[in-house]
Amino acid sequence: MTGGTDVVIVGGGIIGLAAGYFLSKAGKRVVVIDKGGFADGASGACDDMILFQSKKPGINLELTFESLELYKRLIVDFDDSMQFKNLGGMVLIENEAELAIMEQFVREQRSYGLDVELIDQQDARKKQPFLSDHIIASTYSMMDSQIDPFHVMRAFEKQGSKLGMQIIRRNAVEAIDLLGSGNWKVSCADGSSWEAPTVVNAAGAWAPSIGAMVDLSVPIVPKRGQIVLSERIPPIGETNLWNAKYLVTKLHKDSATALSEEEKALGLSLAFTRSAGGTYLMGSTREYVGYDKSTTIAGIKGIINLTLGYLPRMSEVGIVRAMAGLRPETPDGKMILGEHADRPGFFTAAGHEGDGIALAPITGKLLSDLVCNNRIERRVDELSPNRFGGTAHE
Amino acid sequence: MNCRPIVLEAQHMSDESENRDMLICRCEEVTLGEILDAIDDGFVTVKDVKRATRAGMGLCQGRSCSRTIARIISQRTGRPLEEVLPKSYRYPVRPEKMAAALSKESEDESDR
Repeated sequence: MTGGTDVVIVGGGIIGLAAGYFLSKAGKRVVVIDKGGFADGASGACDDMILFQSKKPGINLELTFESLELYKRLIVDFDDSMQFKNLGGMVLIENEAELAIMEQFVREQRSYGLDVELIDQQDARKKQPFLSDHIIASTYSMMDSQIDPFHVMRAFEKQGSKLGMQIIRRNAVEAIDLLGSGNWKVSCADGSSWEAPTVVNAAGAWAPSIGAMVDLSVPIVPKRGQIVLSERIPPIGETNLWNAKYLVTKLHKDSATALSEEEKALGLSLAFTRSAGGTYLMGSTREYVGYDKSTTIAGIKGIINLTLGYLPRMSEVGIVRAMAGLRPETPDGKMILGEHADRPGFFTAAGHEGDGIALAPITGKLLSDLVCNNRIERRVDELSPNRFGGTAHE
Repeated sequence: MNCRPIVLEAQHMSDESENRDMLICRCEEVTLGEILDAIDDGFVTVKDVKRATRAGMGLCQGRSCSRTIARIISQRTGRPLEEVLPKSYRYPVRPEKMAAALSKESEDESDR
């Protein structure tokens, strides 16, 4: 089938489906093609955070604010809560060195409009009675929110389908060619092909291989994140939890905070979040292992050790599952969003690293505006795929 | 695995509304109706249905219901069971206390 398609989206994760929904809403005839099943990639192996506190002031923080507002509107439009929750978050501080750096970071975030504060040990324990004694302070923000990725993806799919969006699964894109007509021809493994003036590369960690089909270099690297899931237990605290240790080492390369050998090797940092199903998601690793999506015993043990360091009583809780997703990392930590120079009609929307869930709505909306040539109220130049210089694939 | 009357009846109960409330995944309390709706929306493997409905995401991780769901999908869509069932299982295959998991030996080669 070829006729009558305006946009082919390669990749049916949360970004591809969000883009498909917003483009369909804008009147475009959209086909989404994915090599795997529903939520087979990073969008199905992640936590559910719309997280503000990890972000430095800048475009990622701004986009998270905008995305949260969009989510709130979609919840009304879809008449579906998508399990949205607003539990807030705490970043746990273990020593004076971390505290000094986090004081500065919180000041910067507050100047950017983030409602975040530092609380002392006593207040931290009021919100989290099971915290280890060695936690001396914590940040606290009520803004950190969460929404269930599976619900979001199914809702985008359902609402997009009502507008005519087609979704093809278990069919890999094998070639993309520019035709004399100016249309792109997208050819799939099963022999089918689609022609459209616009193609969107929303393939996440696999975006480089899709870019390479049109001789483009897309600088995204897969970073493996393992997550361990607990059995369903009652809430053990008010908020979700992160640790300052990893954040601090990112903010200050020479910071006094020492990561253990295990933490360094696995890129471990704490993310302890309550899922829509009442289980806890415990993460995560950050590993450069190519496209290997396996979970490992070393990774699972590392995550458990890390978690028990902050919440010793969790040792009595059962784990039921582990999963791993490939976070698509860019060189500067910002997503890639826009049309490629010299490839008219070829767009990329990928590279969200750990923020795909948080940023899916705003990405889909901005992409749709870019494709439709709508006026965009914010600057998106710094997200352009052309910011990395040469476009030729090496 | 013997999946008993639920499955034997699945073919002709598919459209009978009185059976739509029957629990298929007991851990997550997912009903036959929710599973049939997901299949009709294009979610046609056990993993697809799991992610779309939470069936199989609970304490037993699908050990009770995944074959039942596979048969329901297979009967509804005509797809063979081997295309519908998950192809791999990963550690932990059954719930384990966090403290106990730490004593597990690191043998990542077997962890596929």
